Amino acid sequence: MIKAPRRTGLVFFPAFDWAISPTHPEREERLLYTQDQIMEEGILDIDGIEEYRVRPATFEDIRRVHFCIPNEEAVTTKSHLISAGGCMVAADAVLTGEVESAFALVRPPGHHARTVVLGNRGFCNINIEAVMIEYIREKYGINRIAIVDTDCHHGDGTQDIYWHDPDTLFISIHQDGSTLYPGSGFPDEDGGPNARGSTVNIPLPPRTGEKGFLFVLDELVMPILDKFKPELIINSAGQDNHFNDPITNMNFSARGYAALTSRLRPDLAVLEGGYAVENALPYVNLGIILAMAGLDTSFVKEPNYDRDYQEQPETITRYIEDLVRDLKDRFLKDHKMPYLKSGQIISRTKEIYYDTDGIQESQNERIRSCHDCAGLLSIESRSSLGLHTMAIRIPIRACDACQKMGSLWYSKALKNSFDYVYLQNRVQNTYEVF
Amino acid sequence: MILGLDVGGTHTDTVLIDNNEILAVNKIPTESNLVQTLKTAINQAISDVDPFQIERLVFSTTMATNAIIQNQLVETGMIISAGPGIDPHLFAVGPAYSLVEGSLDHQGIETWPLNKKDILFAAGQIKNKGIKTIGIVSKFSVHNPIHEIQIKKWVTKEFQHIFLGHSVSGSLNFPRRITTTYLNAALSKMHNEFTAALTKILDEKGCHAPKFILKPDGGTVELSKSNLFPARTAQSGPAASVMGALALDKCKGTTLALDIGGTTTDMAVIVDGVPLRTPFGIRLGNFHTLIRSLMTHSIGLGGDSEIKVNKNGIFKIGPLRKGRPVALGGKVPTPTDAMITLDLLNIGSKTAAIKAMSILGASIDLDAKSTAEHVMLEMGNAIAQSVKSFVNYINSRPVYTIKEVFYEQKIEPERLVIIGGPASQLAKYIGESLNLPYEVPAHAEMANAIGAALARVTTEITLQADTRRGTVIIPEACFSKAIDPAFDMDDAVRLASSTIREQALKFGADPEEIEFSVVEKQNFNMIRNYSRVGQNIRLKLCINPGLLPEWKRNF
Repeated sequence: MIKAPRRTGLVFFPAFDWAISPTHPEREERLLYTQDQIMEEGILDIDGIEEYRVRPATFEDIRRVHFCIPNEEAVTTKSHLISAGGCMVAADAVLTGEVESAFALVRPPGHHARTVVLGNRGFCNINIEAVMIEYIREKYGINRIAIVDTDCHHGDGTQDIYWHDPDTLFISIHQDGSTLYPGSGFPDEDGGPNARGSTVNIPLPPRTGEKGFLFVLDELVMPILDKFKPELIINSAGQDNHFNDPITNMNFSARGYAALTSRLRPDLAVLEGGYAVENALPYVNLGIILAMAGLDTSFVKEPNYDRDYQEQPETITRYIEDLVRDLKDRFLKDHKMPYLKSGQIISRTKEIYYDTDGIQESQNERIRSCHDCAGLLSIESRSSLGLHTMAIRIPIRACDACQKMGSLWYSKALKNSFDYVYLQNRVQNTYEVF
Repeated sequence: MILGLDVGGTHTDTVLIDNNEILAVNKIPTESNLVQTLKTAINQAISDVDPFQIERLVFSTTMATNAIIQNQLVETGMIISAGPGIDPHLFAVGPAYSLVEGSLDHQGIETWPLNKKDILFAAGQIKNKGIKTIGIVSKFSVHNPIHEIQIKKWVTKEFQHIFLGHSVSGSLNFPRRITTTYLNAALSKMHNEFTAALTKILDEKGCHAPKFILKPDGGTVELSKSNLFPARTAQSGPAASVMGALALDKCKGTTLALDIGGTTTDMAVIVDGVPLRTPFGIRLGNFHTLIRSLMTHSIGLGGDSEIKVNKNGIFKIGPLRKGRPVALGGKVPTPTDAMITLDLLNIGSKTAAIKAMSILGASIDLDAKSTAEHVMLEMGNAIAQSVKSFVNYINSRPVYTIKEVFYEQKIEPERLVIIGGPASQLAKYIGESLNLPYEVPAHAEMANAIGAALARVTTEITLQADTRRGTVIIPEACFSKAIDPAFDMDDAVRLASSTIREQALKFGADPEEIEFSVVEKQNFNMIRNYSRVGQNIRLKLCINPGLLPEWKRNF
């Protein structure tokens, strides 16, 4: 019997009875062949690999992260709750010490879901990593967490949720936003005023191959992680950088993903996108599981690898070298930040389009500049659904000043004519809707 | 009249059943020579019976289990084609394990063709070692058996016995398919000799009735057909007990069956008369197999387990057994001694039992009776605790659909059925500890032989249809054919139903007793570029373990 050098948990939830719509890529069949490959390999018989049963997340779990408008019932399905809950099960397995790392191979995905949720964007309603992370913070008191998002699409939802949080490092490696949905994720997007440098975007050109991804990982991602010193590393393991993926233009492979996983050594990995259901997912997922467990991955290879995989062109290698040089300068050297007085209110506006549901939203966000905590946040939202709402977040470990100011903002908002006013108070662990 | 026979580690039990009555029971010690044990047991069981009156004989034996544990397997070669994934060298088994070119992907589509020269070379090397039996297994052969069939065609003249991987089970699991195919092949010679010897004993007695062997899934197979899958006859003991519990009690609702023996206690869950089965297969020695079994759990806790007590007055019973109870001449105190002390059991020397209990209790200032009472309570609690974790284990099995997560009923036993030697003495303690009603049916101590006698034929089949590729396959029946794009779930159910019927008849089922259920039924739209290009249909039917229809009518 094979023994895994590293005890690894697996939470598998293929949601065989759920699809966004009958012919949507996010469909029942998506993980069918992955399941077949995992079962045929006998992965679950390996000594040291444990499979866990999913449990649904509760609305309370979601309210630590999101403001669902008008409410959670309206924007989630049972499948979203199970997908997020599956990540929480994986987290429990790792943090109770039953396993050293765990992979939540669940669907639907979540990394395009932002703080405010009006519907489905980029196949996502609920940010499953964020729900997991805030559950970990609440239950296990772990503070410093790094997310490395290796999905081909920029993890704009996760970026939005952690934009102001200096304790969460969010690194996204993705196909350049000027060539792919959602069109964001450029290097100058590097975090809010209280958390500058804790968001890292690495946009890679189309046709980036194994060499480019692993170069970026070794030269940039690992040093940034070393500098941040997270207590936990989470990999948003999207699989659409694959050379067989039908909706992207990258040139990554199963062995590349396996090598990336071996080097990154995430404590938790969560499946995100990836729609080459027959000729990428079964091999990539297998590679990730074996790599997490510390097992040999040299026999994991797509049947068409030798025929169809192409080394990245030299021009791309040079482009990536230049990019990494710039980003090293930006994130690994200490720069003098512009001084902001505590208590200053900084605002920005955002236009958000929910592609799946066809909703247009305008947000006005205010953050209280703060030297003592992540800062009080409010998001005013108007959408094509006709709803006008105000959401206020008192962050976890908020300072007294931010807490007091939060109550003030809330009572002020109640006097205005919003359709709904929400108060997420992470200090008292309460969520109020009016 | 039916003869049931169960070979256990210490005893071999026989039972004669006629017209829903248990006519006679007999128990003899199990000897090291299995055929001799069977001969003695059969002789004693039918000494007063006209052999022509026997209509059916069922055996639950330890032949395959012993052969595997004692490593009496015949030298067997393996020809394996793998493809991408885990290094297939890690699954090597037997003296001649040969990897050949060729592979299929997860849908059974060929991604690397076989190479005849390469295969003949591998076969030649195996043959040169003097090996006459081989197994042929390819990865994903249950989604397309073409490579296994082709390899067999090329090497068929070189070997006496050839076993193919796809026929052992419809389930996906390449390493288990390899070991299961290997075991079937490696056991075949011994199994053939064993069935021949058994048939000879019965022929000499003038018994020509249909003969069956019990399997670990609680079903039977006709003796002559068991040669196709000899490993399927291993480890049938726990299943015999569960089927016995089912035969002696209605097992309505959710019942937890406990079989308490001298060394171990086995448990299983029966839901509305159907015992739960494991999703994969049994473990035989170091081999993980695809051989279906009932979901049973065994703990090292029985009537003859060793009892220790520490300074804090905590009793520890089992998991070891160190010989006989003190009352029967042993050296170590056991729960049996406690039962004798409390007058729950009248065997051996009561004086010795009482003495053992008072020595055990001396260090914590308890007299013999209180010590014995403590032992019984502790045993009841320990078994209850194991029952709880077993049920918890069953309820934490992974599920893959929203329906199962939100709507599937959890297993919660409503009652206990307790069988085995010390069943009646311990039932009260276990029942009270679990706060559940309990039943100790009559003949509880012979339940295993009764279970074997009354078990019906079981089988299962797995159908996979892919309308894009235009194929339907039922690996267990070695069936595949082309289908048109309109093939749907109704067609699949029709085809699977008739196939499972044929399969059951082949294994010796009575046409009247064939009742099957759908274990798995899934239909996936295959979507490519936002449009439907086909259907992937998956269907698993099985004949659940159950009792002969005439016995059921008794309730």
